[in-house]
Amino acid sequence: MRRLDCCSLLLISLVWMGCGKGESSGPRGTDVGSTGESVTIKGTIGYSALTLTNPFFKVIADTMTEEALKHGYELIVVSGERDVKTQADQIDDFIVKGVAAIILNPCDSKSIGPAIKRANEKGIPVFTNDLAYDGKDAKVVCHVATDNLQGGRLAGDAMVLMLKETGGDVAVLHFPQAESCQLRVKGFTEKLAAHNAVDGNPQINIVSTLDGGGAREEGFTAAKDALGANQDLAAIFAINDPSAQGARAYLESVGKEDQVRIIGFDGFITGKQAILEGKIVCDPIQFPDQIGAITIEMIVKHFDGDDVEPEILIPSELYYKADAEADPALQQKE
Amino acid sequence: MSNESSLRSRLFADYGMFFVLAVLASLFSFLTYKEQHPTGSDAGRQVAEIVEESREGPLHVMIVARGTAEDREFTSAAREGLASNGVTVVAVVNGEPRDVRLEVERLSEDGQSVDLIVANDVASRWTVYDRIPELKMTPRVTPRPYYGADFLKSSNLIGVANQTAIYAIIAIGMTMVIVTAGIDLSVGSLVALAAVSSALFIRESGGVDASSAVVIAGVIGGILLCCLLGAFNGVMVTVFQLPPFIVTLAMMMMASGLAFRLSSGRSIAELPESFFALGGGRLMGVPNPVWLMVGLYVVGHILMSRTVLGRYIYAIGGNEEAARLSGVPVKRTLLAVYTVCGALAGLGGVVLASQLEAGDPKFGDKYELHVIAAVVVGGTSLMGGQGKVLGTLIGAFIIAVIKNGMNLTNVDPFNQKIVLGGVLLLGVLIDTMKRRPEILTRLFSQRG
Repeated sequence: MRRLDCCSLLLISLVWMGCGKGESSGPRGTDVGSTGESVTIKGTIGYSALTLTNPFFKVIADTMTEEALKHGYELIVVSGERDVKTQADQIDDFIVKGVAAIILNPCDSKSIGPAIKRANEKGIPVFTNDLAYDGKDAKVVCHVATDNLQGGRLAGDAMVLMLKETGGDVAVLHFPQAESCQLRVKGFTEKLAAHNAVDGNPQINIVSTLDGGGAREEGFTAAKDALGANQDLAAIFAINDPSAQGARAYLESVGKEDQVRIIGFDGFITGKQAILEGKIVCDPIQFPDQIGAITIEMIVKHFDGDDVEPEILIPSELYYKADAEADPALQQKE
Repeated sequence: MSNESSLRSRLFADYGMFFVLAVLASLFSFLTYKEQHPTGSDAGRQVAEIVEESREGPLHVMIVARGTAEDREFTSAAREGLASNGVTVVAVVNGEPRDVRLEVERLSEDGQSVDLIVANDVASRWTVYDRIPELKMTPRVTPRPYYGADFLKSSNLIGVANQTAIYAIIAIGMTMVIVTAGIDLSVGSLVALAAVSSALFIRESGGVDASSAVVIAGVIGGILLCCLLGAFNGVMVTVFQLPPFIVTLAMMMMASGLAFRLSSGRSIAELPESFFALGGGRLMGVPNPVWLMVGLYVVGHILMSRTVLGRYIYAIGGNEEAARLSGVPVKRTLLAVYTVCGALAGLGGVVLASQLEAGDPKFGDKYELHVIAAVVVGGTSLMGGQGKVLGTLIGAFIIAVIKNGMNLTNVDPFNQKIVLGGVLLLGVLIDTMKRRPEILTRLFSQRG
């Protein structure tokens, strides 16, 4: 009797799983019918994202799915969950499936190498976006990302604009592990140095550079340490929005939010919201939709036989409160 | 009840999960059954025959495929076949779409035309032909497709075994710990610590040019460190009588912190080729981690079912007090179990570092959950006293097959998580129903 029950339980669950498959397996065969007209499918592209819980990568994934379909490719999206072994396993599964191309945000810039190499050996072209592969053994056709150096320079320009009359002390909330953040800080420092080099300009000095962890809690602590050591701090440059928001939270808790102004980076929806509310002065913003669209464009170019640049950098733009007030994405939210 | 049917019911109770695995494998074979496209020398010869069958006069043919070893076999076989039939092969491209464009540009400079393109399926789908006016109308011939299941390809089956090997190796230790009614949450962090400490030791004593002796010392050192930390867990659990959940939770944080400290949060990739052989090498076509897994499961199975230590472990899980009173050395046994669990986590970490060719403190994230899931799905009771090492192996494979199958059938990543959670729940449910059938009986008798 109870054996029978176990069997039926199993059967039910398997049928359920089978149904789940049927719904989500998407178009099979050679025709894509979802847009109404029938396009001959030229192949599938596998995308292993760093994570899909971060809206940045979700936007990249959604844009790429749409763009790929326009060009006759089906995009399969999986999430590496920030674990490089999971991602390497997913690449192996892509190879078994025989995808036409693979797109990655490497979960680790170095240890993803062996998996990319296996794809190279099978002749499958590999593309990366936002995060780059850092190694010599494996070959990536093209890397698409935000121009972080130029973005850092924009942040520097904005800082100079803000403090050029008065001068003042500035703190940087860094995330030195990430190469992208090193570039942002480099561009920022360049612009400040250029301003300070002109005779008679009031000096803008970076008095402390602290690790803000790229996260809210650590940004809070780092701002506390920076202000503890420099009472007269005039401004903070944070390498991303969460650490900028953490710093703002600390400043509000000690009533210094009018003395110390903040410039962030990224311009994701919460960061834009903070700019709208005047909590962050401005952000050099990134364009995940462009990153996604250009990645697909490069894949199409590759199969068209065109020359593809090994690296494409997408310029950032400054985003102020006035931009936020005109931003339809923020209007919808209210 | 006859002898035969009691044997059958025992088999079902013990290895019912094996049946589930078989059903899953058939399910995914069915779902991934699709057109397959051959390449290599057979496909090359075949495509030459196809051309010959439909040929009506002299032809100028271009052969296109990728630059891989298999594709080179395809092009050379096709070229030979065509040439022996008297067909003119004007160009052979082994490379990327770009190479096709360059080749055609060169041909048109020479005034050479192409009447037919011979390519394997992948290369025939490139969009480069539509872009070149000379090739737009040129017909393309590809080898005949055949039908087969992606899931059953030997490369996939070996891949699944290789993907699960590290989890499965750690799960042996976890099975022993859970059978004693304990738990070890620190295995994931120990994986990271072993990977980082081995890689760091090898980098500091020679880096890329380190000798094999250094590599062996690094591997053993990494495992030994985790062995010691496992023993530390054991001491806390036995001598100080702390709950294993808390002790190993603390170790999970400390080991992870230590791994990040040692590596300054960066991956260590300056390692010699000889280190990569452990995780990346193959013996008779099967990856080394799979051999390691098979060997360790044989040892684990014998240890748990045929030795005194194995009986002690089950006795402690069944009733610790009763075991102590009947003369089982409870403390020593528990200490050994936690030490073995730590050592196997260390081994897993070293194999992982070798496979990924770097040591990184981010490795091993949430592995404790993967491993505990494999143990539970494999039929080991979290209450202790019950469970089999081979059941754990089946549990690990069930999870790996589901993950692999879902990737092969394009299941949305969020749905993948829901399914994996459901499988874990189902594993525990079946386990509980097996031990307490009265719950089901009550449920059904109420309704009826």
